[in-house]
Amino acid sequence: MGCSLPLIRLENISKSFGRVHANRDVSLEIEEGKILALLGENGAGKSTLMSILAGQLQPDRGHIFHKGKRVVFSSTEKAIEAGIGMVYQHFKLVNALTVAENVYLGTRGGFGLNWKKIRKNVRELGLQYGIDIDPGARIDGLSMGERQQVEILKLLHRQSNILIFDEPTAVLTPREADNLFAAMKQMVARGKGIVFISHKLEEVMAIADNIAILRRGQIVDRVPAQEVTSTAELAERMVGREVLLKVDKSPVEPKQIVLKVDRLSDDRLKDVGFDLRQGEILGLVGVAGNGQKQLVETICGLRRPKGDNIRILGLEWGRFFRKPDWDKTLSYIPEDRQGLATCQGLDLLDNFLLTTRGGFTRGPWLQYDQARVKAEHLLEKFDIRPPDLTACAWQLSGGNLQKLVLAREFYRKPRLIVAEQPTQGLDISAAEDVWRLLLKARDAAGILLVTGDLSEALALSDRIGVMFDGRLVACFAADDQSKVAEIPQLMAGLSV
Amino acid sequence: MNFEITVLLLAAAVQSGTPILYATLGEILTEKSGVLNLGVEGVMILGALVGFLASKVTGSPLAGLLAAGAVGCVAAAVHGLVCLVFQGNQVVSGLALTILGTGVANYIGTGYVGQLAPGFAPYPMPVLSQLPVVGTIFFNHDPLVYLSYFIPVVLFLFFSRTHHGLNIRAVGENPAAASAAGLNVAVYRWFGIIGGGFFMGLGGAYLSLAYTHLWTTNLTAGRGWIAVALVIFAFWKPGRAVFGAYLFGGIMALQLRLQASGTQLPSSILLMLPYALTIVVLVLSSWKKGTSDEPAALGVNVEPAD
Repeated sequence: MGCSLPLIRLENISKSFGRVHANRDVSLEIEEGKILALLGENGAGKSTLMSILAGQLQPDRGHIFHKGKRVVFSSTEKAIEAGIGMVYQHFKLVNALTVAENVYLGTRGGFGLNWKKIRKNVRELGLQYGIDIDPGARIDGLSMGERQQVEILKLLHRQSNILIFDEPTAVLTPREADNLFAAMKQMVARGKGIVFISHKLEEVMAIADNIAILRRGQIVDRVPAQEVTSTAELAERMVGREVLLKVDKSPVEPKQIVLKVDRLSDDRLKDVGFDLRQGEILGLVGVAGNGQKQLVETICGLRRPKGDNIRILGLEWGRFFRKPDWDKTLSYIPEDRQGLATCQGLDLLDNFLLTTRGGFTRGPWLQYDQARVKAEHLLEKFDIRPPDLTACAWQLSGGNLQKLVLAREFYRKPRLIVAEQPTQGLDISAAEDVWRLLLKARDAAGILLVTGDLSEALALSDRIGVMFDGRLVACFAADDQSKVAEIPQLMAGLSV
Repeated sequence: MNFEITVLLLAAAVQSGTPILYATLGEILTEKSGVLNLGVEGVMILGALVGFLASKVTGSPLAGLLAAGAVGCVAAAVHGLVCLVFQGNQVVSGLALTILGTGVANYIGTGYVGQLAPGFAPYPMPVLSQLPVVGTIFFNHDPLVYLSYFIPVVLFLFFSRTHHGLNIRAVGENPAAASAAGLNVAVYRWFGIIGGGFFMGLGGAYLSLAYTHLWTTNLTAGRGWIAVALVIFAFWKPGRAVFGAYLFGGIMALQLRLQASGTQLPSSILLMLPYALTIVVLVLSSWKKGTSDEPAALGVNVEPAD
């Protein structure tokens, strides 16, 4: 098998959205009987790459070769014909239909359906790969793991020979994940090629034959799995460490404590504790899904903490969120700009007023004229395009939308800022703008910066915290070089 | 009420339930594909008028029936155009279709009010109509009633035993999944809309060509709306639609008989009965526990792929 042509070869695939390079000169080979792991943080361009492979997106440049022959996947049907099958994170199943019906959906040929025979076929197909599932069961009665098995059966039934799993273990219990890995091994043993997209290092180490690492749209590394000695090594390759820009970071004298988290625990978090002072940036790093999201949501009032473990600006959590002021308080810059930070169908002025309306109310009235003057000034100051308050939020590019959110939040003169992946999906110049704004805001505020990009954290932070499995495993000054060198091990959960 | 009258009443229930049955089955076919067509009333009355006119001109009730089916397809296609091509709101489009259909039919039909056209005559089934009770209730009708016995069976087999039936159900439940499986969602929705419109047109034609043989203003009298409600009562199952349609047919026949028998009840109360029952039926069927049988993507437009 060694010298045969790869099932799929990608050559110099590039794809941009506006000025953002989602993929740049990506070359990959998917081989028969091998599991290729595609490793990268959120926003590194994994999903874009796979959408191109599945025929949902067209590359701007570059070619796809199927068994050595150049092909163009102009539609999903073309990709399916070539034997490419995707197991999406969000299952594409018809909940009201049975397993067998879902598997046979879209099958051509013949008019009538003999369900007895079909169910038998589905059952036998599953058992070949160690998938034991009742073909007559309705999807809405199945667990997430079983639903995923149905997705896999669909692809096997279609005789796909290149199977792409997009973060398949995200919805699985550990036991179900083991079953999945066993099934994947069966599939490659039968000559199929598998792409396994993940950011879970242990899984990649455990299952992959080859590993490709994607960062900011580029393949930064390609290694056979047996050459990787530890998850720490993988983590280091994944997050990178070169400093992308030199920001002028003049030291600021830390002042009073603005956020105090004291032994916070819940179903995901374990004993998280730290202080954040005005004048400093605490960069919280870690592989996504290690509790950062839960921590941020708890601090920002989206999740209720179990006890009185959090003090914000000197107030207990409950008292702080009972009636928060609109200004000189907590600003949250969420990762989900489209869903949490803005309302897509409202215009920029209304979006500006979402969190700042407290400053423009007199009695029951909202003073739109004053708000318009202020907002127009901000559009100009932050160079938000189009500079038009009547534009809707959905018309803005990711970078401009993020600038709008920042402009709005900084207008509130916050004393505590929680910024979650603030530069994700932005091009480098927009990212630099955001970094400068955050550094400037540091004079008056304490900033909790949650990021999956280590170089960003290192460039901005005064202190670094590392999260693993719901714990804050380490917290140290950002100029402590010996500690910084240990970050990859800490992120991988290895004690040092 | 003695036995003989009851049997006759049940026979009348089958007859007056038949147009509702056609319309309900048509709406089930449409809704299974994920499209809500509230224009049933409008499509039915257009079918009734065109069927009447075609039969009057050609002298052949069969030509009238086919013309009614055809105009049903065309009227429903207007709904398809709005919803599938222009991504319009399905509720608004359906309501507009009802208003348009009744308006156009009553306007064109003004000159024909009270006129007769050749229609379908009762044709007692040989042998079967001689059966006691059952023969009178089910096999002593016109051919359109007999035709309506087959359609639920055909639809049931179509939905449960054929590729295309499975595909249309998937399209109505989860168009994204159907699309990912390589199905053309729009094609199946067009089929559901136009096929449904055909049956609605036949339901209308039954009123002008079999139930009566004449045209009057507002001939459908809300039967299209009853059909919309019956789809919910039937849990989108063709078999249950039969019971629902005959239940309503029974109420309609009963109130006619009661009026004729000179009861003390005001006629407006009796006329209200079928519509009051509609509300009762909707309330009862919404009490059903567990998973809903409603197609999950009902009323949701699907953007065409780029």
